Formats: sequence, C-alpha cells, structure tokens
Amino acid sequence: MKPHRAWPIVSGCAAALLLAACGGSSSSSAPPHQASQVFTYDTTATVMDDGWDPATEYSDAIIAMTQMYETLTRYDAVTHRVEPLLATSWSSADNGRTWTFHLRHGVHFHTGRLMTAQIAKAAILRTIKLGGGAAYVWDAVTTISTPDPYTLVFHLKYAAPLDLQASASYSAYIYDTEAAGPGGNLTKWLNTPHDAGTGPYTLQTWNKGQEFEVILKSFPGYWGGWTGPHYKKVVFRVVSTDTTAAQLLRAGQVDFVEQVSPSIWKSLQGDPGIRTVASPSWQNLLAQLNAKALSLPVRQAILYGVNYPGIVAALQGAAVQSSGLIPAGLLGHYANLPNYTYDPAKATQLLHQAGYGPGKKPLNLSLTYTAGDSNEQVVATLLKSSLAKLNINLSIQSLAWPAQWGKAKSANAASHQSIFLEYWWPDYADPYTWFTNLLLTEKQPYFNLSYYSNPTMDAQINRVESVVATSPAAGAQLYRTLQMETLQQAPLTALYNVNYQYAMRRSFTGLTVNPAYANVVFTYNLRPTGS
Amino acid sequence: MIEAPTPFPAEAGTLPRGPALRRGLRANPLLVAGAAGSVLILAVAVLAPLIAPFPADAGAATHPFAVLRPPSAQHWFGTDDVGRDIFSRVIYGARISPLVAVVVLFIACVIGLPLGLLAGYFGGWLDEAIMRVTDIFLAFPPLLLALAFAAVLPASLTTVVIAIAVTWWPWYTRLIRGQAASVAGRPYIEACRALGISRWRILHSHVLPNSITPLTVQVSLDIGGVILTASALSFLGLGAQDPTPDWGLMVAEGQNYFTTAWWVVTFPGLAILFTAFTFNLFGDGLRDLLDPKRTFLR
Amino acid sequence: MIFYVARRVATAVLVVAGVIILTFVIARVVPGDPAATWAGPHASAAQVAAARKFLGLDRPPAVQLASYFGGILTGSWGLSIHTHRPVLSDIGAAAPASLELVTAALIIALVIAVPLGLISARWPGRAADHSIRAGSILGVSMPIFWLALILQLVFSQRLRLLPAAGEFSPSLLFTHPLTRITGFGLIDAPLTGNWAMFGSILGHLLLPALVVAAYPAGLIARLVRAQVLDTIGETHVQMVRALGFPERTVFGRFAMKLAWNPVAAALALVFGYSLVNTFLVEAIFDWPGLGEYATASIQTLDTPAILGVTLFIALIYVAANLIVDIVQAAIDPRIRLR
Repeated sequence: MKPHRAWPIVSGCAAALLLAACGGSSSSSAPPHQASQVFTYDTTATVMDDGWDPATEYSDAIIAMTQMYETLTRYDAVTHRVEPLLATSWSSADNGRTWTFHLRHGVHFHTGRLMTAQIAKAAILRTIKLGGGAAYVWDAVTTISTPDPYTLVFHLKYAAPLDLQASASYSAYIYDTEAAGPGGNLTKWLNTPHDAGTGPYTLQTWNKGQEFEVILKSFPGYWGGWTGPHYKKVVFRVVSTDTTAAQLLRAGQVDFVEQVSPSIWKSLQGDPGIRTVASPSWQNLLAQLNAKALSLPVRQAILYGVNYPGIVAALQGAAVQSSGLIPAGLLGHYANLPNYTYDPAKATQLLHQAGYGPGKKPLNLSLTYTAGDSNEQVVATLLKSSLAKLNINLSIQSLAWPAQWGKAKSANAASHQSIFLEYWWPDYADPYTWFTNLLLTEKQPYFNLSYYSNPTMDAQINRVESVVATSPAAGAQLYRTLQMETLQQAPLTALYNVNYQYAMRRSFTGLTVNPAYANVVFTYNLRPTGS
Repeated sequence: MIEAPTPFPAEAGTLPRGPALRRGLRANPLLVAGAAGSVLILAVAVLAPLIAPFPADAGAATHPFAVLRPPSAQHWFGTDDVGRDIFSRVIYGARISPLVAVVVLFIACVIGLPLGLLAGYFGGWLDEAIMRVTDIFLAFPPLLLALAFAAVLPASLTTVVIAIAVTWWPWYTRLIRGQAASVAGRPYIEACRALGISRWRILHSHVLPNSITPLTVQVSLDIGGVILTASALSFLGLGAQDPTPDWGLMVAEGQNYFTTAWWVVTFPGLAILFTAFTFNLFGDGLRDLLDPKRTFLR
Repeated sequence: MIFYVARRVATAVLVVAGVIILTFVIARVVPGDPAATWAGPHASAAQVAAARKFLGLDRPPAVQLASYFGGILTGSWGLSIHTHRPVLSDIGAAAPASLELVTAALIIALVIAVPLGLISARWPGRAADHSIRAGSILGVSMPIFWLALILQLVFSQRLRLLPAAGEFSPSLLFTHPLTRITGFGLIDAPLTGNWAMFGSILGHLLLPALVVAAYPAGLIARLVRAQVLDTIGETHVQMVRALGFPERTVFGRFAMKLAWNPVAAALALVFGYSLVNTFLVEAIFDWPGLGEYATASIQTLDTPAILGVTLFIALIYVAANLIVDIVQAAIDPRIRLR
C-alpha cells in the first residue's frame, strides 16, 4: 500500500471513532423513555456468591433475593411494627408458644403454583432441615400444622417472637418446594439458577462473575399487581471502584449506589440529578480477635490500642461510635456500657503482663479485611498505625470476600488470621444474631471467627430468645449481661456503627431505608418519575 | 524498556573524552537533562529525612483527624485517606524506586553476564542450551512473567524484585552473547589462543571488557522500564504493602478517592512519570553519545 | 523459504513446550496447599487427602508434569477458583474484548506515531524533532494505570465527553441486545445490523484504547525516526539524491518504504506488551476483557486462572512473533539466509 493512499482511510477511521464516541455518550446521558423501566442497583461485590437457595443464603445476596422471594411478615423500621406480607394476620396464644398465621389468598409462585399453607409449611420445614443461613430463627418450632389451605399454626417448644422472626431477611422466605418436580433435587434446580419465589421480580439472566451480574424481570402474576408506575426490570451491576460508580451515577447509567467513600458521597451532593441519603443502620464493623491464638491480656490490650475517635473522624460521617455490640434502635442497646476507649497506657500495661509491648519483644499479628471496601482499608491502616506504637507489627491482607472468609474457615488453624474485620447486621429486628452466630461455640468455624468458646455464655445465649418472648425487659437485661461478658473477655468488638450513605438518581420516589433489611431497596415500592 | 536490545552485535563504542565529550554533551541536550533529573532524584532519595516535612508519615504514623486535606501551605501535596502528608511520602518513595531498579538490574547482570559470555565465547552445545532457555523466558511479553511470579508469591517488595529480575536476565544474556560471539571471532583472539593464553584469561581480559559497553547502555536504558514494571506490580497489590511509601501502591490506594481528592493519585503518579522519564532520557542520551552509528550529520 | 518456515515453526514448538513447563514450575512454587484450597474450608483431613489424590498431587513430579502437559494440549486448563468454570472457557469469553482493545490501541498508535516519526526524521534537530522525541519518551515512560485514572477523570467526569466505564451503554441491554456470534462486539454488532450497539462500544472503547496506545505510540515514533534517519544516510539514498531527485521524493518514495520494516518487527512486541498493559487499565474502565479477569484472579488468589491467562498470552505472543518473522522473511530474503 502506497503511503500516500493510507492517509484518507486512516483519517476516516479516526473521524468515525470520534463521531461514534459522541454518539455513544449522548445516548447514555439522555436515557430514552423505555430506560426508566429499568432500575440499576450498583454494588461493589459479587451479588450471588453463596448460591441460589433461599433457605441457606446468608450473605449479600439479600439485595437480589428480596426482590424474588417474600416472607410471611415484614418489619417496618419507621413504625417499629411487624407488617403483613404473605400473611395477612396472625395471633399468638399459650403465652407465645402457639402462633397462628392466616395466609394471603391468590398468591402465585413464579413456577405457576398457588401458595397454600401446605407448601409454606414444606418450605419452612426444609429450611429448618437444611440448617443453613439463619435457620436458627425457626429453632423454637417443634411442629407446624395446616388446618386449612390458608392457615399455618406453629407449635413452639418455648416462647419466641415468631412474627418478628418470620420477617427475617434470611432463611424465612416462602418458596415452592415442588419446583423441581416430584423427587427432584430442589437445591440443584435452584442453583441452575432458577427462582421459586412469590416476589414481584423473577430471574431473567445470571451472568456469573460479570459486571451486569443479575437481571430480574417483573413477574406478571404478582399478587400486588402492576397498576401505576413500576420498574419492570432490576439490574444488579457490580462495579468495584467507588470513583467509577460515582461517575456512572452522574451519567445516569445506574440508579442507586450502595456504597461509596464518604468524600465521594459528599461530592455527589451538589449534583441536581442526584439525591444523597444518610441513615443510621443496624450494621457495625467487627474486629474479631483470634481467641485461640491470643491470650486475654493481649486481646484486651489490642482493644485498648484502637483509636476509636480517630476511626470515626477519618471516615467522615460514614461511622458513628458504638456502645457494646448492639446498635441503637434494637432491644438490648445500652449507651452506658464500660466500652473500650483509646488508652495506650493501659494497653501497654496489659501487654507487659504477657511479655510484649514497647521495650519488650514485638508481637506479630495478621489482619484480613475485604478487598474493595475503602472504609475497611482505612480502618486497617489506622489499626496498624496505632498498634505499631505498642510494638505490635500488624500485617494487613486485603482479600476478596470469598477468599477472606475461606481462609478464616479453613481447617488449617495455623493459617487463621489474628484479627478478622467484617460487617455484621441482624437477620431480623433483634440482636440475637450477634450472639448466636458470632459467639456460640462452633466445631467447624463458620462465623465465630474469634474461634471463641465459653460454655456459660453458650447457655445464656441459648435461652435469651425465650426470655425476650416472655419479658422484653428481662431479655434486655440478659443482653446487657452478655455484652458485659463480651467486653470483659474481648473475643471481638464493634469498631463503629455504620451510617448508611446512599446516593441515587432523582428519577424515582418511594425509597425508604429499612435497617432491618440491610442495603435492600424494595424496587417494587419505587415509583419511577421518568425525570 | 524503550527498545529490545538488538540481537545483532553493534559496534562497541567508547566514551569520548575532553573536548569530544563536551561537544557530545552539547549536541545531546536530552542526555544532560536526563542526567540532571536522575541526579536530582537520587539527591532527593538520599536527603529524604532532611527534605520531608513529616518523615514519620512515610512510616506507620497516621493522623485520622486530618484526612484528605487538599494541597495547602502546610501540606504541599495534601494528605491521604489516613491523614499522612503526601509530599513526605512521595519524597521517601524516591528511595524505593531507584533502589528496586538497581537491585533488579544488578541481579539480572549477575545472572546474564556470565551466561552470555559462556554462550558467546564457547559456542557449541552450551550456546544452544543457554539460548533455548532464554528463548523460553523471552517468549513471554515483558511484565507478564513477572506478574505470574509475583502473583503466586506473598506480596512484598522482595517478591517484586525477584519476579522482575527473573524475567529480565534473558535480555542481557542475549546481548552479551552477541557481543562475546562477535569479539570471539576476531583474529587477534585467535592469535592469543595460538600464543597459548588460557581461554579463561582471554575471556576475562579481552572478551569481557569489549562486551561491557553495550550492557552499560542497555542497563541505563532499562532503569526506567524496571521502575514502571515495579510500580505496575505494586499498583496491582503484589508489591510493597502499606505503610511503605511506594508510589504505585499510593496510586492504588488513592483510586477510591480520586474524583474528590485528586491529589492522592496525581502526585505519586507524576513522581513515577518523572522518574521513568528522566532515566529514559538519560539512557537514551547515553546511547546516542556512545553509539557512533547514531551520530547524525545534521 | 520453506526450509526457513519449517525451522522457525520447529523452534516455536520447542519454545511453547518450554513455556508450558515454566508455567507448571510457577504453579508449584505457590506456597500453601492446593489440595486444601480445592477441598474447601470445611474439609476434614481425609477429604483433603482425597482431594490430593483427585488432583493428582500425590504422584511424582514428572508424572504430574506429563499430565499437566497433556491437559494443556487437550484443552483442559483447570478450573477457576473464583468463577468455578473451566479456565479456558473463561479466557475464551474474555479474550475478544481485550483483543479489540489492543487492536484499537495499536491502530491509534500507528495513526499518531508514524506521521510524527516521519516529521521528526524529515527535519531532525529542529524544535518539532525535539518535542516529538521528548513526547515519545514521555509515552514510553507513562505509568499506564495513572494515565487511565487521569483521563477518566478529565474526559468522563469533568468534561462529560466520554463514557466512564463498561463496554456499552447499559440501556442497550434491553433496547438493542447484542447477539454474540464471534465474541467480538465490534464484529458481531455490524454482522447483526445492531448499529446502536456498534456506536456505543466504539465510544466506550475510545478512552481505554487511548491509554493503552501511549506506549506503542512512543515506541513506534522513535523507531520510525531512527530507521528513516538511518536509511537516509545510506549510500543508495545518497545516490538518488545525487541524481537530482527533490528531497520530497527521496523522502517519500525511498526512505519511508524501508521505515516500515522495524515497525512491523516491533508490532509483535508492542502487541504482547499492550495485551499485558490491559491488566492495568481494564479494571479502571470496567472493560470486560482478560485484564479484568486477571486482576479479579489476582485478588482472589485464583492460581489456575492466573497461570491460564499467562500461558494464553504467551502463546499468542509466540504466534505473533512467528507470523511477523515469517512475513519479514518473505519480504526480505536476507533474513532467511542468516
């Protein structure tokens, strides 16, 4: 090819590129009318990383699962009441040991089958049998009877607030147990993936490991109906960097961003098309200390060596100082507990007891946190720096959540970290989960990643729910005792309580933040305004 | 690296002296600029404790009540997400990049030089064997093999050094081999053999000195490339870990704040760019000075 | 000619074998126990031993190497730990996007660098030459990941000219969904007449391609300048000049033709180099290629995936070098005789 002729073709290509670029960007910033039917939820980590079984899922997937599946009741954080959902009314008898739920008529599963009490019972029994996720919410249940197709009667072995537990965000979903056919393997069918729920949206596509990970479409037969403006599709988009997520939000390519760093959140406030919402949550960041590897004085010293006010300041509004394990708004929260404060002198004293500390031999510890979470990264760096003053060398490792969790659960105890950072939030509007999941003795580590075992505490934890059901005041007192013991024994602590900082487009109304369902947007309740 | 070393031996040039050197320098503004910049960076690295206003910030110190402050009189480059002074960290980072480059290239020479000499001078099956091995290593694009090694080893600066050195030595083996083979074929070397001088003596006194200059040029050309590769590995999280003030790591950590706190990413990145640029200028200029083929008429 | 090709191909095959062995060695260097990772966190000691047997780790290294070799050749490259799918199919899904990115980057680089190199050579020593030389050194000194962030900030956020991230505008997922035939979005879209998608992909491709083009542009500009200046000094060109041809013609017809040779030779190098540079850029732009897959694999410590990508790119690089060598030998007979 002669050099002279090459030029026009080449410059033509360049022009085409430029034109296409302009064309491409203008079409994305002014979404066509159909685009207002799609709600895009931007999250930082893989959505469906714990399987598709609503009975055992116990991770971030609730943001998607709550669109496809429903529970008997739903907790309303504004009114502090349990509201009807799949059950229209309920009553308890026998001092809270018998619960009767009346089911809604005309509810269909996405498989087409009608929801009856028999199927609901089968779903709950299967959840209990599988024992995964938050199945412990049904622990009190001995038998379930179905006097007619729309009535469920629960017989409990001890009193428990079952209406509240049935509103849990995990393991309380009602699903079609016959979806895989008679004798079919339901778990396998669900993990294909399929969904067997009653919710407003159903699975359209799952692109595992990719950016547009989950796409849901509306279920035409939803009992709530589709009159009025509703989103017809929900897309879950996984974007790992905050800056990209913010840019996508500004450009209108996503509608809701689950998490951005506080400084970016502040910067979004000026944008006319964006609404920012700050809301207290029931989520806190835990530091779980390896109770098998670290002795009590060392653990207490570490907790005195954490710069709590510094962390709150550095997170610029995303964090609030916590008191005890239970966040404000839940039963059992006390603001006046003897919490740890940043006290390097006391920490030094305790470390010297164990032969460590400034002037003595250095202590080498390891910490793992979840990759992609900039707040955890800041916390880890601050921890490293404040512990360095105590002659503790903290090596930090950031891992993707499956790798971080896998390492902590591994059978090889030598590879366990000294400090595990993770967020925790309740499964239903009750503080039980902090104790039953994090502090109960576990034969194989699952969430008790302090590897802590205290038989006395185990006994107290096992009875607290029935105490709460009979007398909330007594229950609160028992939770207080549990928190005091936890503070004393220092297997873990809440470094701070999370302040949700959400950012979203102004193209819809109807969003309410419900801390009982962490980071969940009930898309069906949103009304797109098309602006 | 700017260019892969030519597999065909070039004429080994020599460093001009006196007036020739001054003429050479005047014709080569790039070399002068590059040399000046490189000296500046090395000076900064050596004098870091004196220049940096907050030396502790390059270590484990944090200031959680002063996070993400924009550039100001007190913090010329602003502060990062845990309140550390970025200017001080960038200054101390100047200690890391050139040091990594020096160690990597030293290791690569220590491995590559003897292997290249042996292959070039002795030839035969030794040459074939060594060349096949270098072929295999050179079958990977630069950075890729280093990345694979660094990804499987625990993340640290040592890992980065080992990973890059392991992938860099084949270039030098090739280069030296070419030079050694060309020198070995010259008549006066045959004459030495005829005189009964031992092969090792010939290798040491004749082949080695005549092969060194292209290596020196190539090493100086490669410094910038190694710095970029090392910062890329650190950016991916495979290199130095916090709180080490490694520039690549600082860019990676600042990503999340970039749109609101542009200074966290911009200044460390500029430092990488400036350092790689000056060393590349220097290497380029040096090559121009030493390579007679490159002296142009205009 | 045939003899040369046969020789080159034989060498390439040997090199490929060596590459596979080298990746095997790297895989075994990994600290930690692959059997334990495979068996999962809840595994008992017996299950880990069973996993070891299943993975073949209890056999002698030579046997392991042989079966690894066999696996590679038959297309079973292991299972990715973070996607739970065969590594080769993951790579197959991700590779086209990266190849599109690198090709676009190389096109941009050639379009920018060749003219600049020629200008630089045409008037050496002048201001244009000095600034182009400085610019090309700047290009090869650029930390790519930093450039990506800066350009994304400037063009996407501040100027709102170009899209921030992704392969195409997400609204098109529903209005003009793309049917994938070859896997290459820029080929499939026109094939199915989906011009809206084509434009959107091009628009999203522009910024990442500009970033990846920095290094090749700098390198190629330098090469063109060096080669043209070398050629101009040669005797046969001097003779043409002496014959009275104007400088313009000398430059145009004789010097530039020979300038293409080193550029073509360098193309394989910059192709491989740019393919690896995508690792640094794709995650920032959410471009769904090998780079994003590799960075995700690094974060999740997914050794089979990391090594699979390494092997794949090395194989492409060997192939690219082979093709370039053969083409050059076909054009320039002197090469075959060496």
